Amino acid sequence: MENKEALNTLHDIKNLMEKSTKFLSISGISSILVGLYACIGTSLAYFILEKQTFPDTFLHIPLLNVATSYQLTLICLIALGVLALSLLTAVTMSYRKAKKVSRNIFKDKSVYRLLWNFFLPLLTGGILCFSLIWHQHYGLTSSIMLIFYGLSLVNCSKYTYSDIRYLGYAEILLGLIDSFVVTHALLFWVIGFGLLHIVAGIYFYYKVERQQD
Amino acid sequence: MKEFLENINKAFESKARLGIMSILIVNESVDFVTLKNLLDLTDGNLASHTRSLEELGYIQCQKQFIGRRPNTTFSVTPKGREAFTKHLNALEEFLKNQNL
Repeated sequence: MENKEALNTLHDIKNLMEKSTKFLSISGISSILVGLYACIGTSLAYFILEKQTFPDTFLHIPLLNVATSYQLTLICLIALGVLALSLLTAVTMSYRKAKKVSRNIFKDKSVYRLLWNFFLPLLTGGILCFSLIWHQHYGLTSSIMLIFYGLSLVNCSKYTYSDIRYLGYAEILLGLIDSFVVTHALLFWVIGFGLLHIVAGIYFYYKVERQQD
Repeated sequence: MKEFLENINKAFESKARLGIMSILIVNESVDFVTLKNLLDLTDGNLASHTRSLEELGYIQCQKQFIGRRPNTTFSVTPKGREAFTKHLNALEEFLKNQNL
């Protein structure tokens, strides 16, 4: 047995271990798109919400308020729209990428593990948010969204590229900071769901996907 | 023959068997079809390799029916885990000695 042969063997072992436990057909472009949707959604929300400007506010950013129930409904619809569009984009792009390497994502156990571990914290947070809005506690909605989304990412990072846990940590941190700051929820939201996604997507595209091609 | 080469397990010399073990080590249990697709083997080929690994006591198989279709899942035994770890350590040792 030669040196090279032993190295190849180890390489094969590592590959098979990864392939059988991790779903690696996720795409950086979809993360960038999701970030853009979040930015568009945020700007729509910004125009809808009631603005109050105080001269001493942070960077002169106006405080935003939900004044009427019509505004609340509209904001919720925008948020759900962004969510639906994001999920659709991520799933379609992953499906296409998996097809390229001829993997059937419906028969793949790693896909189910990934989805279950991703959606368990996400749905918990989503239902919690819904309940808070229901009880008219709007203050913590954005921070809960960020924290639970971060936990979802960390939780599912075992079943895909483990680097996405760093995005998760960033979201959790941002959510926790947001929970201490009473105002500027929308600003935190757009940093977490818009900016971080775009940055992470670009990083992922150049560092991981380019190297695979 | 040097000492560390004694631990290189003959049972894992075939690429298919090594592949089967690698997959089963990191998964609780894997069914026949998934194994076949991951390793790119034919039915008969995979069946003969799993049979020989089973005879060595390295893996165990559970047969059941899902509806009317037979479904076989494999998992690694403690003995198999030990043998595979030894094999990997031997490979590592081998590479270390080569680099000196």
